Amino acid sequence: MWRDWLLRAAQFLGNLAGAAVLASLVATLSQPAHGFWPFLSAFAARLFAIVHGDFGLSAVTGMPAMAEAFSIFSITLQLLMWGAVVALLLGIPLGVFLSASRTLRAAAPLLQIIAAMPVFVAALALIWVAVRVLHWSGTTQESALSWTALTRSGGWNAALQAFALPVLTVGVAGAASVQLSLRRAAASAWSAPYRSGLRMMGLGALDIDLHFAFPEVLAALLRDLGEMALALISATAVAEWVFHRNGVAVLFLKSAALGDWNVIAAALFLFAVVTLLASFVGNAASQVMIPEDNP
Amino acid sequence: MTAMATNTVDSVSGTRLRTVISMIGLSGVGVIAVIVALSNVIARAPAGAANVGASSLAPDASYAFGTDVLGRDVMSETVHALAVTFSNAVLAAIIAVIVGAVAGFAAARAPLRLGTVLRGISGVLGSVPVLLLAVVLVTLAGHEFVAIAAGLAASPAIFNRSFDRAMRLARSRHAEYARATGIPGLTLLRRDLVYEVQANFVNVTGRALASTTIVLATLSFLGFGTSPPHRDLGLMIAAARANYLDIWWPMLFPALALILLVLFARLSAALDEGEPP
Repeated sequence: MWRDWLLRAAQFLGNLAGAAVLASLVATLSQPAHGFWPFLSAFAARLFAIVHGDFGLSAVTGMPAMAEAFSIFSITLQLLMWGAVVALLLGIPLGVFLSASRTLRAAAPLLQIIAAMPVFVAALALIWVAVRVLHWSGTTQESALSWTALTRSGGWNAALQAFALPVLTVGVAGAASVQLSLRRAAASAWSAPYRSGLRMMGLGALDIDLHFAFPEVLAALLRDLGEMALALISATAVAEWVFHRNGVAVLFLKSAALGDWNVIAAALFLFAVVTLLASFVGNAASQVMIPEDNP
Repeated sequence: MTAMATNTVDSVSGTRLRTVISMIGLSGVGVIAVIVALSNVIARAPAGAANVGASSLAPDASYAFGTDVLGRDVMSETVHALAVTFSNAVLAAIIAVIVGAVAGFAAARAPLRLGTVLRGISGVLGSVPVLLLAVVLVTLAGHEFVAIAAGLAASPAIFNRSFDRAMRLARSRHAEYARATGIPGLTLLRRDLVYEVQANFVNVTGRALASTTIVLATLSFLGFGTSPPHRDLGLMIAAARANYLDIWWPMLFPALALILLVLFARLSAALDEGEPP
């Protein structure tokens, strides 16, 4: 048991180290290096600095790159978290519904027809509906503010309108990932060999689902947390751009356009850490729920 | 017995349904390929030609998709943009399949734990969203390499799935028997690869095409993809964004073309949702 936990922790730390190497590589590749050894030396120096938390200075603002990215991380995190809530609220009922019967399970992949819409097209469609159909105003205005700042500046209604669309965009993209994970897990639990044995022992379908299938499905859902985080981060990047929220994703895109590589490396590292952390926490929670479910 | 018979019937009808869906998808992709090949014939105006008609004409009999603010024929522009998006997406999908699926499968059998190292590297790359990885690669290599960047960015996820699948096959009973009877590892790899290509090539390629199309369109929308005068669907949508709340047609038709392309690519993969990570 302890060996498993140590292995998981070592794997997580190894992945974090990998993310630091990736960030160092990105920051070094951008600089002109004449020959292999000078490049290697520059890379080693950059890696050493990044391991000590020094991502260098922003070429645009002159601020420390990580501090600059971290100062607006809360805006991204807020969008990510609310998006995750919407994703769970939409994805879980949808996944449960589509796993309910054999016919629905067979028809579930048809959902991909809806998922063929790229996130930015969905975001623009939402704005159109909000402005033209619901007559909302201010949904596309420049709003670098967080939810708290918007409510503080007055107008709950305006704050809700400005916040609802990006959250909904991220949430819908995340819901696709949640329902897929849930359906996969439910399909696996549905065809598990223990079901027939338990039925022969006299247990009803509801008992089997509640006491055996449900923990399995929940554990599988937790195991896919990293994948869900990836989907949510991608959608957040697009939503921040479309809805003018100056979070880390927009900073990343602007830095890429300006060639500010230290900030790019810092933002990339932050996103990788979020994904790896989600993956680690999900795997650990899944392990706690079903201890025999070893990797 | 009855339950087993029902399952068999379900399985057979499910396979038939998937084949039909895949054929619809492949036909759709084929039609798009024909439109792309004949884009210069189908489009009545050359790419980027302004003042073909009056500014911002709504769709009517003379201009089926209307005109944009510069008087460009939206239908002609959509066809030209579809050609750019489709060509780039096909190239990117080929790269993703070779670097991701084929290399992932081969890496699982690589000697000296090389495969495990590559899987570790790919795992770290896979912790960064494909879109952001593509942005980094485009910024490093330049906008003219956008298709290669999108293909490479989509590769880690495909590599990981392919590697894990190959590892499961390598540990399967048939592989154990083959090794016990003295069949060399390379022969076994070749055999498994042939079966893998036969069973999954269309699905993997279809999903890669859908994924790279979305990445390329999003890159262009964000300003990291194709640059004017070569407009793709993402760039057309980005350009129409300024006043689409009033003049909706320059955005609607490229968006529909993009959705159809992604949809047909997904249908060609028989709506396969991939294996769990």
